[in-house]
Order: sequence, then structure tokens, then C-alpha cells
Amino acid sequence: MTIQITINGNPCSSEAGESVLTIARREGVEIPAFCHDETLAPYGACRMCLVDVVSGPKKGVTTACTLQAMDGLEIITDTPEILRLRKVLLELYLAQAPKSKTIKALAAQHGIKKTRFAKKVHPEDPLQGQCILCGLCVRVCRDIMGAGAISYIGRGQFTEINTPFYEENDACLGCGACAQVCPTQAIAFEDITGTRVMKSWSETKVPLKQCAACGNYFAPVPFTAYAYEKLDPAIRDEIRDLCPDCRRKEMTRKAILLRAEGVGR
Amino acid sequence: METARLNEIVESYPTPTGKILGILEQVQREDGYLQKDVLKTLAEKLEVPLSELYSIATFYSFFTLEKLGRHVVTVCMGTACHVRGAPALADTLKALLKVEEDETTQDGKFQLTTADNDFTVTSARCFGACSMAPVLRVDNKIFGYMTPERIPAVLKQFGWEEDTHQNA
Ligand code: SF4
Ligand code: FES
Ligand code: FES
Repeated sequence: MTIQITINGNPCSSEAGESVLTIARREGVEIPAFCHDETLAPYGACRMCLVDVVSGPKKGVTTACTLQAMDGLEIITDTPEILRLRKVLLELYLAQAPKSKTIKALAAQHGIKKTRFAKKVHPEDPLQGQCILCGLCVRVCRDIMGAGAISYIGRGQFTEINTPFYEENDACLGCGACAQVCPTQAIAFEDITGTRVMKSWSETKVPLKQCAACGNYFAPVPFTAYAYEKLDPAIRDEIRDLCPDCRRKEMTRKAILLRAEGVGR
Repeated sequence: METARLNEIVESYPTPTGKILGILEQVQREDGYLQKDVLKTLAEKLEVPLSELYSIATFYSFFTLEKLGRHVVTVCMGTACHVRGAPALADTLKALLKVEEDETTQDGKFQLTTADNDFTVTSARCFGACSMAPVLRVDNKIFGYMTPERIPAVLKQFGWEEDTHQNA
């Protein structure tokens, strides 16, 4: 059902039940947000996306990502109260992730250079002092990839993300989806000939697959197994164990052959 | 814990995946801690990621990953108790029970078990008994207004014997 909502005085149409953050992004209204990804269910963890509901069933400040659109809903994204709250959050984030460029930049944009809170510093942090505990990596690993290699450890101000027992975890597919979604680029991994080393995840090692044609390493073995399983068998057989480059060449070769045959006939 | 017993616990729940906390609680009660192998078996059995079980095990202070002694002495390190002398209590306990800290975790928590496995000394946050600060808990008993001098008497109630050689 198409409905109307109002963001900062501008009417926008949307589907009922859509996340207000999604609508705002589509309409080009900027709302900072760290823990939201369109492929995952709204989570409401980072609190950055606060907006003010001025007309709707429940007025007041709430998170846009978890707010579902309904007809007549009216929100404002930059009231003085919202800006004040955002600044406090950014100060907290500066303490939690003092090394994060993303946080520093956003804080600076809001005129925040320093934090009143005690900074978390430990030099051996596998997430390099950049993790804001948004939970995206945990959720993408568990809910999308189905691996669940990492999770929260501990609680309160000592919460961390890592593998269970801080040990290498063979549940890891080596896909790197965690690093992809991380809003602060906190997650590090490296490919060292034939092996992907997930540096942030207790040095979990995942073997890389070699291309059947050129011999280059192109993707983690468990991840290709996961991907091949999802593919149509016909396509799977066609791409076999080739790297993207060789796959392209192979397809071109086939196309040319087909052509040639056609001409010959 | 034997796998057979673990199976029994799991099967006592009609929907075990929804009862992870209950299962872990039972294991903690029977084993005195959550063993790595037990968690691994459980993860396979319940088809939940090991990371999730570890997450739960580290979230609730009721769970421990290391074996506890027969009696658990918990020093409250909450604000009120801290201010009223909890660190001195902790030091006295460690000295009396002869447990050394090899390393303090970054959150300042400790869990130390005596060689004879009789006592574990550990810390916790506010028991909600601040009016009696500083507070000690031994097993389920609370001891308020504690002083280092009173600790030996408390420990004796739980079968601790003073090492007379040392005093000589
Ligand atoms: S590592 Fe990145 S994605 Fe994972 S919780 Fe921390 S900030 Fe979020
Ligand atoms: S994006 Fe809404 S709370 Fe994080
Ligand atoms: S601080 Fe120790 S009981 Fe509250």
C-alpha cells in the first residue's frame, strides 16, 4: 500500500511499513546511521539515526531505522534536541573507537574534537581501536552467510567482537562480508599465498582456491563451496573452478566458437 | 560432563533451541563451569553457532568458563564497596588463601582457585547491599561491614584452616 509521510516538511510517498531511514536515504535526506544495512533486519543499536516524530502515534525522539512508515507520519531529522543527542553519541563513540577515522570525521562535522569520556586504548586490540560495536559483522556473518563465526563477548563497556574462546574458528568462510559491512573499516584480513588470514578474528586461516586454468588464488575454499551450492547446476558446471578472469575468457572463447560454427554452417 | 548426561539435559526440553539458557544453567550447576568441549558438543547438537554460546557464557556473570572451587568467595567491587575498602579485602583473601594473580583481565575482574580446589576468590559488581559495604559473599551467604581482620573467622566457617607454620 502506498502511503504519505513527511520528512522535514517535505511529503514523500512510500510503502507502509518501510523503514523511515530507508525512505529518507531514498529521498536524499541525510541521517547518520551505523548499524543499518538494507539486507538485514533493523536493529536499532547505534542510536545515530535518531529523528523526532512530530506527528504520529508515538511522538518524540526515536530511531529512524526501526521506525515503520505509516500514513500521515511526520518527522524532523535535525531539531536542536536531535543535534545535541548526536553530539553526545559522537563523544561516546570517540571514547569507544578512538582510532576510527569515520567517527572522527563525523564528530568533526558536528564540531566535536574531544571527548569527555575515558578513551578505550589497548594496543593489541584486533579491531584496532575502531570497533563501535554496531553488530553488523556479527549479523551479516550469522544471518546472511549462515556461518556465525563471530559474536559479542562479555558485556557493558568491556564488550568485544571476536571468535569464541579467541581461537581460530573453522565456522569462518573467509568471505570477508564482515569487513565489507563494517562502518569503520575495523576488520582486517590478508591473503598470504594460498591462505586468507582473518587478522581481526583470532588469526583464523582459510585456504584459498586456485583457478583451474591460470592457477591464481581467487576465493576462499569454504566460500566457493557455499556459493556453488546456491548456484543453478548448469551455471555451476559452466563456471567450474575458474577465477573470474578465466571465466570471462572461457565465455568469450565459447561465444566465438559458437559464432564460427554458425558461419561455417 | 558425560555426553549421555548432556543429552539427557537437552532432551528434557521439548524445544531445546529456545532453552539455551536453561541448559547452560543446568550444566553450570552440575559441572561448576562451562567446559569448552561441552559448549562445542552443545553447539552441534542444538545447531547454534559456538560463537553464540560463548557470547551467552561471557555475558551472564552466573556462568564461568573455568572450574570453581567448592566454596566461592565473591568480593563486591561495586562503587560503594570499593570506596569502603573492598580492594584490601581482596588482597587479604588472596594472601590467606595463597592464590596469586597471574594476570588481571582488562576489566579488572579476577577468578582464582586454591590448589586444593576448596576456594575460589572472585569479584563482582554491586550486590545491591551497599548499605552494608564493604560486602563479601561466600556461596549464598552475605557478610556485611567486612574488615580484613574478620576474614579468617568467616573463612573458618567454610572449613578453612589457618596455616600455623607461617605464623610461627
Ligand atoms: S567490527 Fe565493525 S561491523 Fe563489527 S561491530 Fe565493530 S564496527 Fe560494527
Ligand atoms: S542505524 Fe538506526 S540505530 Fe543504528
Ligand atoms: S557496591 Fe557492593 S553491594 Fe553495592
